[in-house]
Amino acid sequence: MEKEFIKITDLTRKFKDNVALDSINLTIQEGELFGLVGPDGAGKTTLLRTLAGLLRITGGEVREAGCELHKNSESIKPKIGYMAQEFSLYGKLSVLENLQFFGEMYDVSPSLQKERIPGLLAFAQLTEFTDRRAAKLSGGMKKKLALACTLLHQPPILLLDEPTTGVDPVSRREFWNILNDLHLQGTTIIVSTPYMDEADRCSQVGLIYQGKIVECDSPENIRQKVGGEFIKVVTHDWQKAREIIQPLKGVLEVQTYGEALHILVDSANKRIGQIQKSLHKAKLDILEIRVIKPRMEEAFISLIRKIDQTK
Amino acid sequence: MSFRHLWAVIRKELQHILRDRGTFILVLVTPTLVLLLMTYSLAVKIQHVPIALLDYDQSATSREFIHQITAGDDLDLYQNAVSMSEIEDLLIKGKIKAAIIIGPKFSEDLLAMRGLSLQIIIDGTEPETGGFAVDHIGWRAEAFANDILADQILVNGISLDSLEPIDLRIRSWYNPSLEPRVDIVPGLLSIVLGFPAFSVALTLAREHEHSTMEQLLATPVRRIELLLGKMIPYILAGLVNVIVIPVIAMAWFNVPFNGNFLEFLLLSAIFLFAELSMGMVIGVFMKSQSAALALSFLVVLFPGFFLTGIFFPIASLPEMARMESMFLPGTHYAIITRGVFLPGIGIDALWPYAIMLIVLGLAFTGIAALFFKKKLA
Repeated sequence: MEKEFIKITDLTRKFKDNVALDSINLTIQEGELFGLVGPDGAGKTTLLRTLAGLLRITGGEVREAGCELHKNSESIKPKIGYMAQEFSLYGKLSVLENLQFFGEMYDVSPSLQKERIPGLLAFAQLTEFTDRRAAKLSGGMKKKLALACTLLHQPPILLLDEPTTGVDPVSRREFWNILNDLHLQGTTIIVSTPYMDEADRCSQVGLIYQGKIVECDSPENIRQKVGGEFIKVVTHDWQKAREIIQPLKGVLEVQTYGEALHILVDSANKRIGQIQKSLHKAKLDILEIRVIKPRMEEAFISLIRKIDQTK
Repeated sequence: MSFRHLWAVIRKELQHILRDRGTFILVLVTPTLVLLLMTYSLAVKIQHVPIALLDYDQSATSREFIHQITAGDDLDLYQNAVSMSEIEDLLIKGKIKAAIIIGPKFSEDLLAMRGLSLQIIIDGTEPETGGFAVDHIGWRAEAFANDILADQILVNGISLDSLEPIDLRIRSWYNPSLEPRVDIVPGLLSIVLGFPAFSVALTLAREHEHSTMEQLLATPVRRIELLLGKMIPYILAGLVNVIVIPVIAMAWFNVPFNGNFLEFLLLSAIFLFAELSMGMVIGVFMKSQSAALALSFLVVLFPGFFLTGIFFPIASLPEMARMESMFLPGTHYAIITRGVFLPGIGIDALWPYAIMLIVLGLAFTGIAALFFKKKLA
């Protein structure tokens, strides 16, 4: 495996006065399933479009699969499969016609198209919809068709911009199973997502916030960087409980998940009794209280808060 | 250039034209429909223009003249006025569009062969109708004078037979054609074939709006493949109109088609290339379909009416507008269509205009390719 398959150095991109990417440095190795997570407007789409050769590079350098994008961004195009965030296929064309069109655009010979298309249709579970117009497909099917269109030329790099946004949970799971298969086949995949459970499925995760990569590591390592332990508390009145818990000693952060509070403390053993006592004093019934392992979601929120506080 | 890429884009775009109802109508139905509508509305003849008369002569000759002026369907006598102020009043109220003032020495001058002492006043706010009134009053006055003069000559003892050839010639000259102006059909062709150019302007914007452009730009397709691939299907669709419209013009309006049809088809294809390249330039700059449509109206349709010499002679335009009209493909094509339909002129005489269209087409395509970047934002 090649190291530094994708190497981004000091990449900066401005749109008028708005800095979308702020001197990004990032190295992605070949065969990685790289998750790009961050809130809306953080710069995920700008970064992916840059890697797809769709934006002019005005500051910094990008080396990708042996191509120097800051010099010539066209050379990378045959080597990537890019899936835009919005549905971006031809609604008036059928599933098959869309596949054939992109096959032609990527110079896949007709015989190779014939060979690969049935496999891709089966892979994307679209075989029975081969002749249906793309506009008439469900949201999940559209996404799978878009993915299939980017796979026909078997690119070594896949760039997927929020491929599962607006897709039902079953389709999401199916979609990620497909990505896992591709990952196992050795394709380098960069996928952006707003869903933290999806970030957990990546081999490497880059946290992007306000145009900067603030964290880049494996999901396990990112979770451990939280620096503390989480206690989950469920009561009848989460607002009141939150007011009581927030000022307690050793409580670093309180995150709200529906009725439940996830409380970041310096040490769970030391603080759990104290929290119970305070809630009893306020006559709040505790329905559940236990120590939980931090997920990407808690880690992500905690990291972003830390950044905001240091400002 | 990869012909596989080019053909793939052409095929996709043809499928779009045939499957998208809006595009299908705009490209294949609208040109014929607009041509029919415009021919009917423009070929309407002006009739029954109300006029007033002020007769200072009050002679048998002047009364005979008045009778002859208002004998046809073209001019209607609204009122016999008695004063200039009455005429002014009628003009201001819009009751009449023109007034004829017969001078006190009308019959005397006429019989003495000193000409006609006539004054015509028209409503300048409606120059079309006013001009029509002047023309028709002029024709009738001239015919009337000729008759009187012929009588005078006869009275003077010269045989009318010896004058007959001259007399006949005069009469044939002043026989106004009241046929609907079907000769505008060839000229209109250059306007209605602008509609496929609208579609070309829209096609890039549509890809932007449906974000298919993003996907397309991420492929290795080259710019020129994309631009030509998007233009050629609409040239083909335009040629369908080039076949249908002359057939309708001949069968429905009895417009003669005296030229060579194959040559006409070739010249039309060249025109469509130039006109659609202009649409492509619009498409490259406008990222939304509504903006592209608005600009197409401004750049393709309106100049087509006013600057291509179809309704107003180019020679009468101000210098700046004359220059602009040279850059409009429609100007050159209007000359071609008029030449092919009526006099039946061929490519041997029309080639300079074809060359001009090719130059314009290449220039517009060049501009489009120059400004069309394979980049977003």
